[in-house]
Amino acid sequence: MFGWLKGLFGFFGKKKEMRIGIYGAPNTGKTTLASRICKDITGEETGWSISEVPHETRTVQKKEKVLLEREGKKINMNILDMPGIDTKVDFEEFVRMGINADEAKTRAKEATKGIVEAIKWLDQVDACLVVFDSTQQNPFNQVNVTLLGNLEAKNIPIILVANKTDLPNSNPDRIRDAFPQYKNFVSVSAKEGSLDNLYNEIVRKL
Amino acid sequence: MGDKKGIKIKFMSKEKLRDKNFEEKLNIILDHVKEHGIVVLEEGLTPDEKTKLIEASLNNVNENFPGIEFSGFNSENWLDRFLKSFGIERKQGFVIVGSSRVMEKLTEDSGSAEILAKLR
Repeated sequence: MFGWLKGLFGFFGKKKEMRIGIYGAPNTGKTTLASRICKDITGEETGWSISEVPHETRTVQKKEKVLLEREGKKINMNILDMPGIDTKVDFEEFVRMGINADEAKTRAKEATKGIVEAIKWLDQVDACLVVFDSTQQNPFNQVNVTLLGNLEAKNIPIILVANKTDLPNSNPDRIRDAFPQYKNFVSVSAKEGSLDNLYNEIVRKL
Repeated sequence: MGDKKGIKIKFMSKEKLRDKNFEEKLNIILDHVKEHGIVVLEEGLTPDEKTKLIEASLNNVNENFPGIEFSGFNSENWLDRFLKSFGIERKQGFVIVGSSRVMEKLTEDSGSAEILAKLR
């Protein structure tokens, strides 16, 4: 309801502190990216766990006071690494990946709770990085459509981040083509290389 | 479904949905998909409604119901966009929702979707 007021504040000046939610589907590299941003800027390791098994991040992980200074601007970011958004969490999938049944059921329960928590945080973030796996064949799916549609409806500024460009089958254009209406777009590898293009986009667009 | 192997698919027309609020529609969807059926509604969902659908489905996850797959389109013409600017939302399009144990999405873009209905 107060979207226009928020826009007005955004126009007249940047907030000193900004809660930046890192959202996306599971296994898009959100935690790797969030940790890398924190390390680049503060020099500190987050110690957040990273895994190939989906739903490794099952609670919202926070790192406060990540001060990004660039192009004469300062943004004091609170980085919020969100559990991957999904429409389903099947414990059988974890069992197929070699996790024992009891652990798989616990993991599924925690993951479900984590996704609901991440959804609730949509009302509390000031801006978002929506992370995609650029090796994925078809990024157009209801998780991404719902997430982007929601952020747009709430007037929350977003940057689309095509991650994993270090992998040979990466193709960020697939993401750009799937969501042509979103112009704030960067391609990165959270694992290696520079994130300068992302940091520039953050100070210019958020 | 008795001894017969198959998937129950429920279609709901725009007319049938007209006097139902979103909570009622949500209950219809969940009651059906939790029994491993598929529901097709003759109207699109807003991003907020889609989020509520995901949230409500996840709140119902257990060992027998792992959540949902869904797809659909919101077809919007100039009149819809015009009315939307005055806060009047016409829900054109359709949505298809199923338990992820029986519905697998194969491909999807902004104008088409292909799903695989899996026999249990």
